[in-house]
Amino acid sequence: MAKSLSKAPKMYARFKSPSDRIFDFFNIIFMICLVIVTLYPFANTLAVSLNTANDSLKGGIYLWPREFTWENYKYVFEEATIFHATLISALRTVIGTVLSVFCCTMVAYTIARPEYVLRKFISIAFILTMYFSGGLIPNFLLVRELGLMNSFWVYIIPGLIGVFNVIIIRSFIEKLPEGILESARIDGAGEFTTFLRVVLPLCLPVIATVSLFSAVAQWNSWFDVFLYNSSNVNLSTLQYELMKILQNSNASMNSGNDYASMFSGSEASINRVTPTSIRATMTIVASVPIIMVYPFLQKYFVQGMTLGGVKG
Amino acid sequence: MKKRRFWLSCLTIVMLASLLSACSGGKESNQPLGSTSTGGGAQEEKLDKVTFTYFNAVAGKDINTNETRIGKIIEDQTGVNFKIEHLVGDENTKVGTFIASNSYPDVLVPGGSIDKLLSAGSFIPLNDLIEEHAPNIKRVYEPYYNLMKAEDGNIYFLPMSAVVGEYISAPNIEQGAFWIQRRVLKEAGYPKIKTFDEYLSLIRDYAKKHPDEDLTGYIALTTQDQFFALTNPPMHLAGYPNDGGVIIDMETHEANDYADDEITKRYLQELNKLNADGLFDKSSFVDNRDQYIAKIASGKVLGFFDYRWQVGQAMNNLREVSLQTGNDDLEYMALPIVFDENIKDQYLDPPSFVNNRGVGISVSAKDPVRIIKYFDNLLTDENQILSNWGIEGETYSVDENGRFYRTAEQIEQTNKESFRESFGFKYFEYNWPRYGNGSSLPDGNSVGAGRQPEVAQMSYHEGDKKLLEAYGVKSFSQLFAAPDERPWYPAWSIPIEQGSPAQIFTQKKGDLQRKYFPKLVLANPAEFDKIWDEYVKEFGKLKVKDYEQLITDEVAKKIDLIQGK
Amino acid sequence: MDNVTQLRPAETPKADNTDGGLKGFFHKLSKQRALVFMSVPFLIWLIVFKYLPLWGWSIAFQDYKPAKGMFDQAWVGLKHFKFLFEDEHFVRVMRNTLAMSFINLVLGFVTAITLAILLNELRKVAFKRVVQTISYLPHFISWVVASSIISTALSADGGIINDVLLWLGLIKEPILWLGEGKYFWGILGVSEVWKNVGWNTIIYLAAMTSIDPSQYEAAEIDGAGRFQRIWNITLPGIKSVVVILLIMNIGNLLETGFEPQYLLGNGMNVDYSENLDIFVLKYGIQMGNFSLSIAAGMFKTVVSFILLFTANHIAKRLGEDRLF
Repeated sequence: MAKSLSKAPKMYARFKSPSDRIFDFFNIIFMICLVIVTLYPFANTLAVSLNTANDSLKGGIYLWPREFTWENYKYVFEEATIFHATLISALRTVIGTVLSVFCCTMVAYTIARPEYVLRKFISIAFILTMYFSGGLIPNFLLVRELGLMNSFWVYIIPGLIGVFNVIIIRSFIEKLPEGILESARIDGAGEFTTFLRVVLPLCLPVIATVSLFSAVAQWNSWFDVFLYNSSNVNLSTLQYELMKILQNSNASMNSGNDYASMFSGSEASINRVTPTSIRATMTIVASVPIIMVYPFLQKYFVQGMTLGGVKG
Repeated sequence: MKKRRFWLSCLTIVMLASLLSACSGGKESNQPLGSTSTGGGAQEEKLDKVTFTYFNAVAGKDINTNETRIGKIIEDQTGVNFKIEHLVGDENTKVGTFIASNSYPDVLVPGGSIDKLLSAGSFIPLNDLIEEHAPNIKRVYEPYYNLMKAEDGNIYFLPMSAVVGEYISAPNIEQGAFWIQRRVLKEAGYPKIKTFDEYLSLIRDYAKKHPDEDLTGYIALTTQDQFFALTNPPMHLAGYPNDGGVIIDMETHEANDYADDEITKRYLQELNKLNADGLFDKSSFVDNRDQYIAKIASGKVLGFFDYRWQVGQAMNNLREVSLQTGNDDLEYMALPIVFDENIKDQYLDPPSFVNNRGVGISVSAKDPVRIIKYFDNLLTDENQILSNWGIEGETYSVDENGRFYRTAEQIEQTNKESFRESFGFKYFEYNWPRYGNGSSLPDGNSVGAGRQPEVAQMSYHEGDKKLLEAYGVKSFSQLFAAPDERPWYPAWSIPIEQGSPAQIFTQKKGDLQRKYFPKLVLANPAEFDKIWDEYVKEFGKLKVKDYEQLITDEVAKKIDLIQGK
Repeated sequence: MDNVTQLRPAETPKADNTDGGLKGFFHKLSKQRALVFMSVPFLIWLIVFKYLPLWGWSIAFQDYKPAKGMFDQAWVGLKHFKFLFEDEHFVRVMRNTLAMSFINLVLGFVTAITLAILLNELRKVAFKRVVQTISYLPHFISWVVASSIISTALSADGGIINDVLLWLGLIKEPILWLGEGKYFWGILGVSEVWKNVGWNTIIYLAAMTSIDPSQYEAAEIDGAGRFQRIWNITLPGIKSVVVILLIMNIGNLLETGFEPQYLLGNGMNVDYSENLDIFVLKYGIQMGNFSLSIAAGMFKTVVSFILLFTANHIAKRLGEDRLF
């Protein structure tokens, strides 16, 4: 199977006409421009995170730090809670993603079956929910009534099914060749076995895709921590802790709220960091782990796992 | 028959669903957010250790007070520790969830959401508790009781600005002022200037003499959340303190929204002329805050109006440069600029009592007596010294006359954010029942270290001293006129209900000004009047009279309360 | 389960509910109980977590004070809807919302699909992976950071855009890009593309994996050129995903978010930058007016449903894949 993976794109690339060459040339030039433009924000953020905070506020940092320092990272990692929070973030990302993708695929499988009598009803019931929300307070009260406050499961259960993901998986399953499911059934496999043994493996490219969506959403979310678990530091996540550090640096730098004007105290205290430098640092700290996961998922949809290979 | 089966199964599904929610709903998941009593709760034994929860609606580091030096000392006195939770995210959302679930931390320090909490009955009345257990609270706050009482006669929270003792004003400018770069003053021979025209011509002259230095004459901060930095100057130029978008007449005590008045027009027209001369930075209207700070920190900007706490970053940066190089040319000096010779400036805050912010005990608190005793204990002279000055010999010193001061090292140490956190200044200076800003001790020392002249003197460098000498003053605030008595001050602390017509008016006014002010400043000077008229016409559509009436009434109410009527 | 498959050719899904009446329905349902077990628990989850909280919509008709119980609230009828619709800026706000959404929708789709196809045409897998990885990085930069970079690039004092244009001689003096309302939609559209194009290609790349490579081989043998292959094989291969995403996104036209508009907006471009979400932010959320927020949310839902059903219906008429 692995062989057919890499073969597929090369197969039709053997002969090159002149127009092909021109196309390739411009395509590569275009890609290089794209890389420059899209790499810049990250490179710039990295440079700011490695530059002394006080120097950064003068502006003019582009690709390289002007006054190099690890101070911003030290400031962030000084916060002892960060490490435990990273663990919780990792846990919610892994557990949340696995459970959610499994459940989404299962629902998608059932509503991709044309003969299923509840197919249309369930589809519409799910799709409609993408376009409304009862609002913050009812959701908060619901979670509280269900006893999910101050619990890890509040990260998993309320967001168990992503309707968008279900629809994407459904459309992928609908495109699977008829014969595969048929032959599974002729072998006498039950629905669940068919789903587990045949459909899940066939769906790997789309599963990789929605896993990425789901994992990124899990990893980045902090609002549920804010609403439900903010008084329990043991369940705090990396994003939430970073948010705290950022807002803290913000508050001590520019007491922008109205009664802060009543602060007097000493000369404005000297800070090692500024919100700008902390924001840059937290962008790097928070995004590097999730970016590192990417190549592992990427191979399923960039390299192309061909159905042809599966068939044969 | 068929039908019945269908409905039956529908019913089953619905019941299943409701069962699911009902089951878990029935299980009392109502554990309070706070009150993690660790110490058995016996009140008689005073030193039984207990931890209460405390929520502060600003961002900050969450911490147990007994992890700080100050907090530990106070815990030793009282046996009480507070677990402080700060706000992350939006205050209204957070407070909304407290209220909706009716479970609160033990102690609350809200910001703008305080009226929501009050109307929700989230605080317990403190009157009896104070009467029975808190002689110090009574001593400090009794003069302000009238201002603190809600309509039902109860006190629900303790504000933070009750001045005790002789009032001491701040030595440095912490508030708004017109700032000018020191090199401009230096080159002009340290002129004593008073009017806006003089100020602007200083800038014009300097820019003319240095055409090749890529200088910016004047800059303004206009981002959505800080737009007041552009709308407040007319009020100050006309000789009024920051009452928040209105001017209160000293005689009639009537509120006037000056947004469409001559003073606003005059200020904008001056900026318009400045722009025509190429001295106003057009980007002021599109730059974000970081860009604005960067420009000031670059040292290329000759002048601007702003509040010190908004530009602290840039100012500290320039100060660092001048400490390194010994040349303070690029630093700024605050000037009390007014429109005309005969106007008395009123930039300095009068002693004021902010009665819509404070700290209260929530209805979820298990042991309010213990908390009020803790509050009371904070209000001794010793503990106020501890919270503001720290520990003698470590964070402050005392000279032979009993005056408190800080050595250069102590100043440096106590200015460090990390030290302020670990020592606990950051958590105890404010946000508790306290002696308000400007308070003094019976021996004449200032309660706040920053207002002690000795501390201010110690932090001046050579350049500062030279400048002060040139202007014949001892501290920068001496250039400014003493504040007149304004019992209502600050009018911006008048509680305006969230979502009320008055609040909607201020929002709409803000929207209108945000749209028109850039046009007015950047317009061709010939068209200025036309655009101004258009703006005034639009402004006339808003219900400004209702708003002014509301503020006038509230000001009158506040004055009555203070005079004990 | 074999029975199920045998039944399949005999009936179209449409006939499900009528054929044989309720008895037939339950007969089939019990036959398909495996499918029921695999889906109905999630339907219950859906009802609990999505439909049950809809009681909160009643807040839109009240002056909601969280302090009071649900039944003690003051009922105010359509007050909050009126506030929304009668505001003199409402029309302008809606115009901006729809214009920006529409621009983002079109630009977003065209650029993401184009990029996915171009990536698919790259021969070197390693290069393709590197480009794809880098192109999605801006997605992880928050709008606060991104808008600061955009603002710097567009600055009139040494911003790169003005510098380049000056250098090329296309303009004579720097332009205050964010100070001109008419540029705002374009700036926003380009910014959205820049930030999300890489991320948005992922889904199309995944869809392309389901194209049978033997089709490309066959096309090549037939002598089809590159563009023909793209047009005849790649595009049809991802069409169903495109159509379904398009329908879903059309339903979301009013759901624009507010971050970039808020961060890049200012007094000079407010006539073009203020959208519905900013309006709700200012008059609802920041003022603690939950009722107005919910009213705006309901309005959005109604519009979304109309758009969604219309788009779905059109897709159906055109014989394309559809959402439901």
